[in-house]
Order: sequence, then C-alpha cells, then structure tokens
Amino acid sequence: MFDFVGKRKMFILLSLLLIITSLIFVFTKGFNLGVDFAGGTEFVISSDKEVGVDEVRDILSSIKSDYATAKIAKLKNLNVENTELYQYLVVLKESLSGSTSLKEELINNMKEKFSEKGVKIEFLEFNDVSGYAAEEIKSFAWYAVIISLILLLAYITLRFKFSFGVGAILALAHDILITMGFYSMFSIEINVAAIAAFLTLAGYSLNDTIVVYDKIRENMKKFRGKKSIEEIVNISINEVIVRSLNTSITTFLVVLPILIWGGKAIAPFAFGLAVGVVVGTYSSLYIASPIVIGWLKKTKI
Amino acid sequence: MKAHRVRVIISVLVILTALFMFFWPSNENVENTGVLKYLSNIKLGLDIQGGSMLEYDMKLDEGTDPNEIIDNVILVLRKRLDAAGYTEAVVTKVVSGNKIRVRVEIPGITDIETAEKLIGSRGKLYFAEVVEVQTSDTKPNVSRNKYVVINGKEEELYDYVRDIYDETTWYKVKKYFTFGEEPFEFTGTEVIDANSDINTRNSGFKVNLKFSSQGSKKFELITGNLIGKRLAIILDNRVIIAPTVNQKITGGSAEITGIQTIDEARNVSALIKAGNLPVDLIKFQERTTGPTLGRDVVETIIKAGLLGLFVVMIYMIIFYGWMGLVADIALLFNSMLLLGILAGTNAILTLPGLAGIILTFGTTVDGNVIIYERIKEELRHGRPPLTAVRFGFDKAFWTLFDANLTTVLAGVVLYYFATGTVRGFAITLIIGTLGSMFTNLVVSRSILESTSHLINVKKYQKAAVEEGK
Repeated sequence: MFDFVGKRKMFILLSLLLIITSLIFVFTKGFNLGVDFAGGTEFVISSDKEVGVDEVRDILSSIKSDYATAKIAKLKNLNVENTELYQYLVVLKESLSGSTSLKEELINNMKEKFSEKGVKIEFLEFNDVSGYAAEEIKSFAWYAVIISLILLLAYITLRFKFSFGVGAILALAHDILITMGFYSMFSIEINVAAIAAFLTLAGYSLNDTIVVYDKIRENMKKFRGKKSIEEIVNISINEVIVRSLNTSITTFLVVLPILIWGGKAIAPFAFGLAVGVVVGTYSSLYIASPIVIGWLKKTKI
Repeated sequence: MKAHRVRVIISVLVILTALFMFFWPSNENVENTGVLKYLSNIKLGLDIQGGSMLEYDMKLDEGTDPNEIIDNVILVLRKRLDAAGYTEAVVTKVVSGNKIRVRVEIPGITDIETAEKLIGSRGKLYFAEVVEVQTSDTKPNVSRNKYVVINGKEEELYDYVRDIYDETTWYKVKKYFTFGEEPFEFTGTEVIDANSDINTRNSGFKVNLKFSSQGSKKFELITGNLIGKRLAIILDNRVIIAPTVNQKITGGSAEITGIQTIDEARNVSALIKAGNLPVDLIKFQERTTGPTLGRDVVETIIKAGLLGLFVVMIYMIIFYGWMGLVADIALLFNSMLLLGILAGTNAILTLPGLAGIILTFGTTVDGNVIIYERIKEELRHGRPPLTAVRFGFDKAFWTLFDANLTTVLAGVVLYYFATGTVRGFAITLIIGTLGSMFTNLVVSRSILESTSHLINVKKYQKAAVEEGK
C-alpha cells in the first residue's frame, strides 16, 4: 500500500510551487490568444508550390503596409486528389472589421501577386472576428466557468458534504491553473475550443475526485471509530488508484494521437486534455483527498 | 433473472434503433466523399462540410426597437438569398444580452463574396417605365442611350433588366421619370409597406402598396402620365412584376391586381419589402471554411481517433481479460448509439463535436473500469462470479451516477453559453456521457451476467491471497 497521505504537506507544497510557476508564466508571458478572444482576421491559404514565409510576408506588406506585422506559419501539407498542396496560416493583428471591400481587395491582390510568381493559391479558411465579438465571447467564457463552478459545488454539497465540495473545487482550480500555465509556457493558442477543453477537463477532474470521495464516504461508515481519518483516506485512495490510473492512461492514449496528427484546428483542444488528464490524476490522488483531512477531523469532534 | 432478461431486451432494442437511424438510406449529402460518406445521415457543421457563417450587427437609429425590425431583416435576407440561388442558406436571429443580430449560414460554397455583397447591401428597389419586352439569351445592348442628370451625376436613361424567374425575358426600361420639372427616380425608400390579400372585387389575389407622403405625390405624377403603359418594379436588377397602370393613383396607396395565386402575391409583396432593408448591416464576425480543409481535418481526426480507440481496446483486454473485451463491446455499442442519436435527432456534428465523441471513449472505459474494480474487490472477498458481478454493479451505480452527472452539468452549461461549433461539442459530450451510463449499467451488465463463468476468478483470488501474506 502506498502512503499518499503521509507526505501530503510535501505534495501540497509541490502543487503550490507549480501553481506559482503557472501564474508567473500567465502574468509575464501571457497567452497566445486566438482571434476568438483577441479579435482579428486569420486565414489559411494553400499553394501548389512551396513558398517561403518571407515571400508571403512581402506580398502581404506590398498590399498594405499594416499587414507586414502579420503572424505567418507553415502548416502541414495537404493531400488533395493526389496532389501535394502547401498550407500557410496568416493572422493579421488588426481585424478587417467586417469590411467586405478590404477583404475582397486582400483576396484578389494575394491571388494576383502569387500568380505573377507562377504560384496558384486558394483560400481554404477565412475568419474575421471584430473586437466586439471577441469581447462578447470572452464574457461568455467567464459566465460559463463561474456558473458551472457554482452548479458543481452545489451538486457535491448536496450529494456529499460541503467540505468535499470545497476540496473538489480547490482540486479543480489547481488543475485548471496548472494547465493554463502549460498553455502559456508552450504558447498554445487559446480559442473557443481551448475553453471547451478546460470545461471537459473540469468534468474529468471532478469525476476523478468524486470517485475517490465516494470511496472515502463508504470507508468512513465501514471503519468508523476503528481507524484514523488519515488511514481511512489512504486506504480509499489505494482502493481506487488502479481505476484512476487506467482511466487516465486510456484517455491519454486517445487524446495523444489527436494532439500529434489532428493539426491546427484541434490542437488547442487536445493539448488541454493531454496535460489536464495527467495533472487531474495527480491532483485527485495527492491533493483533492489529503486537503480535506483537516476538515473531516474538525467535523468529527 | 427477470431484471436480467429486461436488460438484454432493452440493450438489443436500443442498438437496433441506433443502427436503423444511422444506416437508414437517405438521399441528402450524396456529394460526401471519403470518410464523410459513412456519415451521410448525420448533419455536418460548416466547419466539416465547408461553408460560411456570417454574423451581422444592425446599425440602429436611436430609439429604434430591434425586435420590431429583426423579422423584416430576416425575411429580406431570406428572399434575397433565395433569389440568388443560395437556397440552402440559413438565416437566424441571434440574441445576445440586450443585442440582437442576424446570422447567415451558407453551406458548401467557396465564392462567399457574392453572397456577402447580397447581404451587406441595402438593396435597390425602384420603379421604371417598361418600353418594350423581348426574348434573348444574353443581355441586349441599348443602342443610342440617352443620359440624364440625377443627384448631380450623369446616368444612363435606358437599360435592359431581366425577369426574376424567366432567364430569357428582358425588359427595356426607362430608369428615370422625365415628366416633372427635372428627371427623378422612384425607389424603395418611398414604399412604406407592401402586403398581399385576396381580391374581393374580382377573382384572384392582389398586392397592396403604401407610399410615403413624398412618394404618393411622385406616384400620382407617374401614374397620371403612364396610363395604359406598364410600370416595372425592379429589385437588384430583376423585374419582380410589371403591372399595367389603369388610372392615375392618388391618396398614397395602390394595388396590383390580377395575380393568379396567393403564393405569387405573397412573393411579390415580400420582395418589394425586401428592397427596403430597414437598417445597415455591419459584419460582426465571419467564419469561412473551404470544403477541402474540413475534409482533410476530419479524416485526420477520425484516423487518429480510431488509432486511439484500437490501442485502448487492446489495453483493456490485456488488463481485464474477458471483462476487458466486454468493455470494448460497450465502447463500440456506445459509439454506435451516439452516432445513431445524432442521425436521428438531426443534431449538427462539428469538429469539436467529433472530439467530444472521442472523449466519450474515455468516459465509457472509465465507467467500466470503476465497475470492474468493484467486481474484483468482490471476487477477492471470495464471492462466486455471478454474485460478484451483481454486487459490483449495484455498488458502482452511485459512483458512476455522481461522476457522470458532473460531466453532464458542465456540458449543459457549455451548451447554453457557447455558440456555433463548440455547441456541437456540448451536444456530443452530453449524449455520449448519458449513453455511456446506459451502456455501462445496462449493456455491460447483461453481457457480464450471462457470461460470468468466463471471468478468470482464480487470478483475482490468488492476488488476494498474496496480498494477505
């Protein structure tokens, strides 16, 4: 039997350290916000010949000098009807703010200037989010997070105890903060899909925590008066560890190939889950339960 | 044993229904190729099949209630898109806080600029005198055109305008009226209202028009000069209708009679109204995905997902033996159930939605693992397999219930707050999680209760003995 509880102070310290590191990253380096949250214009073009990122930038800045600051990235190649197409992502800092004429000018000029070089390009994707839209999505994201937290706290209080609810929310905050730190550290784009990942992660993290709490609740009835709270919690964690590990490993196995091959569209989502599953498992074993021990002791007396 | 039989019957019925909904032949989406071919019964989001989502803000004058005009805006856009051939486009109202916007979703097109111009422009509706009507495949040329000065700009007086329905009928029209003190135009801004009605005096149907006070003066002048001639009503360079003027019309309202069907009357009045988009629309956001990209991403995700699924299935068999195989069956069962429900309810499958399906694999496996750990515990206590299975399921019920309900709660919140493609994720997450609960508690249970003799009991009992040492 592993001793999860005995060294709990050390693990809480480790978690605090991780959280502080995450916060430092979040506040100094910040996030790579996608157009969903920052507003702006992004598009994906394909070309039948390989061109350099600098060439794309030259053409963009020759259309409008403001476009020179665009973020340009080469994406993985596309295979369409057995011909290899090269793919580039361009993110303009400033939104075209819904102007159809600006958009048309951009698209036509790009096509023309590339064809002068003998390259045929195609617009595969075009997203334009005005500043207002970005603000709105941002505020919705916050509402969604706050309301789900309140609902979940209420549910756990109803089914377990308030102290368990607080423990679960703390573990959840722990998981989300650390995952956010990873997003910042690796400059993974935060978009609406990433928020979906955070909410799924929240569900998973709680799921994990609740399975452990469920065991603790059962064992507290079974060993009432016979064993100390520390022992009971430790026995419970040991009884569910195989399940926790198996679930995490299988989820991780599913998410990993998507993270590797899924491409730009789904990467921000898959990244959050891959990191979140690992952090979530750690927290449900070492943080969520040990953190409620003190509380459970008090309620006993 | 009775409960067991009920569970078996329900399981079989559910999977048959799911398979039926998923494979029921449908003629829609026949153009799907590659992997998408197998999803022909499921409505695909614009991010998968390609298409455009355009959302517009209404630029309102102070004091205008958006609720009053939004329906008209939607009607106008609907008619315009239909007339231009974008019949699959969906126009909806979006309410966000105290703001109201319109959203236009057009599936499967690449040339979005044309549609955009159609939506973005206020549209030009005007009345013009018909000079002659001719049949031609191409637009005839106006020989020796005349010019008039309108609002300080020199404009061509004559033009050919095509009929809205008949591609080969061309009307030669005089775009401006030249019988006043100076040439003038008569546009949609002069029309306040248009509606259709039954013609009570004669047979057939009619369209009523109401003009503004300035418009009624102009209209009196026009009809006074054109008795016996035809007056065309033109929207975005197409002739909607060209009635003959019977008399001089005073009093600010007119009726167009002699329309054969109520549908035609309704259409004409709607189109006349459509000329008057009551507000300017400002693009709020746009999301356009070409069909190539969507298909490519989906194929990669499905392949990656299948790979993950395969690895997980093998892992489960290695770890739990026969019970692992049952978990794998449950996994396939739940995936099929989810796809069947998506097909049956017409829910839209988006890219994040696909990710949601893949996540359901996780939830289903998790449920099985929770139950199996319970069963193993019971086996270690020396219970016979069938009893262990029953006890395991009974005891795991509330754990599963609590654990999954929290996920469903998060999904419901997400559904209410998210828009567009992420909603698809919330849908698959909710259906998938509920489905996994059903699959685990009913399907897995009926299989395991029937086959409890296949569980390798000794393995777990031996482990218990060793632990005991």
